[in-house]
Amino acid sequence: MGKVLMKGNEAIGEAAIRAGCLNYFAYPITPQSEVAEYLSRRMPEVGGMFLQGESEVAVSYMLFGASACGERVFTTSSSPGVSLMSEGLSYISGAQCPAVFVNIMRGGPGLGGILPSQGDYFQATKGGGHGDYRLLVMAPASVQEAVEMVMTAFPLAEKYRNPVMILGDGLIGQMMEPVEFPDDLASEPVNKDDWATSGMDTRKSENRNLVKSLYLSSEELNKHNLHLKAKYDRMRREEIRYEKYNIDCDYKALIVSYGTMSRVCKTAIDNLKKEDFKVGMIRPQTLFPFPEKAVNEAASKNSCKIVISIEMSMGQMVEDVERAVIGKRPVRWYGKCGGDVPTPEEVIDVIKSMVKEA
Amino acid sequence: MEIDLDGIVIIAGNYGSGKTEVSINLAVNKKRSGIDVCIADLDLVNPYFRTREVKGLLSELGIDVIVPPEKYLQADLPILSPVISGMIRQPCGLTLLDAGGDDVGVNVLAALADSLGGKKYNMIQVVNPFRPFTDTVKGCLKMRSEIEKASKMTINGIIGNANLIDETSVEDIYNGYDFVKQLSKESRLPLRFVTVAAALMPDIDTTRFHCPVLQIERQLVPPWKRAVSIKPVI
Repeated sequence: MGKVLMKGNEAIGEAAIRAGCLNYFAYPITPQSEVAEYLSRRMPEVGGMFLQGESEVAVSYMLFGASACGERVFTTSSSPGVSLMSEGLSYISGAQCPAVFVNIMRGGPGLGGILPSQGDYFQATKGGGHGDYRLLVMAPASVQEAVEMVMTAFPLAEKYRNPVMILGDGLIGQMMEPVEFPDDLASEPVNKDDWATSGMDTRKSENRNLVKSLYLSSEELNKHNLHLKAKYDRMRREEIRYEKYNIDCDYKALIVSYGTMSRVCKTAIDNLKKEDFKVGMIRPQTLFPFPEKAVNEAASKNSCKIVISIEMSMGQMVEDVERAVIGKRPVRWYGKCGGDVPTPEEVIDVIKSMVKEA
Repeated sequence: MEIDLDGIVIIAGNYGSGKTEVSINLAVNKKRSGIDVCIADLDLVNPYFRTREVKGLLSELGIDVIVPPEKYLQADLPILSPVISGMIRQPCGLTLLDAGGDDVGVNVLAALADSLGGKKYNMIQVVNPFRPFTDTVKGCLKMRSEIEKASKMTINGIIGNANLIDETSVEDIYNGYDFVKQLSKESRLPLRFVTVAAALMPDIDTTRFHCPVLQIERQLVPPWKRAVSIKPVI
């Protein structure tokens, strides 16, 4: 099959089907509703199911229930909807069920606006729900990458028995780009006999499986949390993904940027190159785990005077960049939050003035 | 070959078929050939990449652009400007109505039924065979009947808009043309024109087409790309 022209939201829906996920629970919200619209047509064609919940809270528990039964499950929403799902995310993480969440971020806080934003960085990478849980968070910068990340997300969610979140801004959902789909995945989680409550008669295992997040004994709960922590530490060792851009030259500034914002930065870097003004970039593809080592190494280059976190949020990623740079270079922030994506020209002006002051 | 369209023209088609980009470029094309053009953004379903985003540019060219009031431009609300009824009652040389996608996108036309009553109009379906659901003739015909049902109006022409945006090849354009030609034959709807991106135009043998070609100067681009600059109308 050749390339097709797809809106990010449609491509995300199609990618889930290709990944063998036949259970989609969701509630419509701009700028993500096209996923639901697309899958309402496509799911019946492939023998799958789209169930619209009465709210995002309900949706998160539909995911929990179906996942506990060993089914591949998937939902999509946008910022306010993900806030509502946060309780379910905590329960699903606590009960160690695999699930894939997509957040096509819009401006916040509260109702905010419907234009693109990256304001849910903290919510996705640091929690949102209660308790010591982490999500594996991936951030696509193109429609093609969104497809690949969704298809990678299902096996990863099963490997760690943990929710994976795809964090895209509104533009990722709304823009159209040509895409090509990788080969389809098998439709069943490979390890589900070890944990799914799918009925003894359907499983090869002799053991009874129990899905729960309740641990009344302090000793057991502590042990459970240490087990979860070990999983998150393993993610930090094994799942870091990032892209280097223009990093093999003596750049004066290092940008850290992700999602569609990083594409604006690439145009800015390319345009600056023509003036012989060198700027490098690390684009995190996973936000948790964050590519700390890569950022640290890139910031340590002798020519690099300053590290700038460029994001469509008010400096949420700066904290991770600072943690990575550990004081080796000054870390600055630039961003916008109203829905207007900064232009390449604005980014160029900011880089020039920040380098001058450094 | 000139594009033969005037009066009230409704641009419909499936979601993401390229209606808005086609409408904008058709408006500019007609304005350049000296025709008075007005264009209305009827897209109540799409949140981004709408005609309203190029209002400034079109106005500078002397094209009348009807969009919702400024303060509601980015609202997620189905606002239909009352000015549109007036525009339909007294159409200019070319009155373009850029509808929303699929059947839901043309529901809005029912609200304009009173103004449209008795008027002669063309409703044209934009088709991009690289889009899901319209990659087969059958899919396009299904879309046509859904749009007709929802709008209670009749489609009477096709626009071929085959493209993969920046990755479109000459081959894609030719295959796309053959596809819409076949669709035109099976649907018995005339092919009004096909589109080709300005950058690809020098490589295209237009004598291969038995219909006019609309050159597309892409305006609805993501923030890291530049729109093709449109020269003022002389």
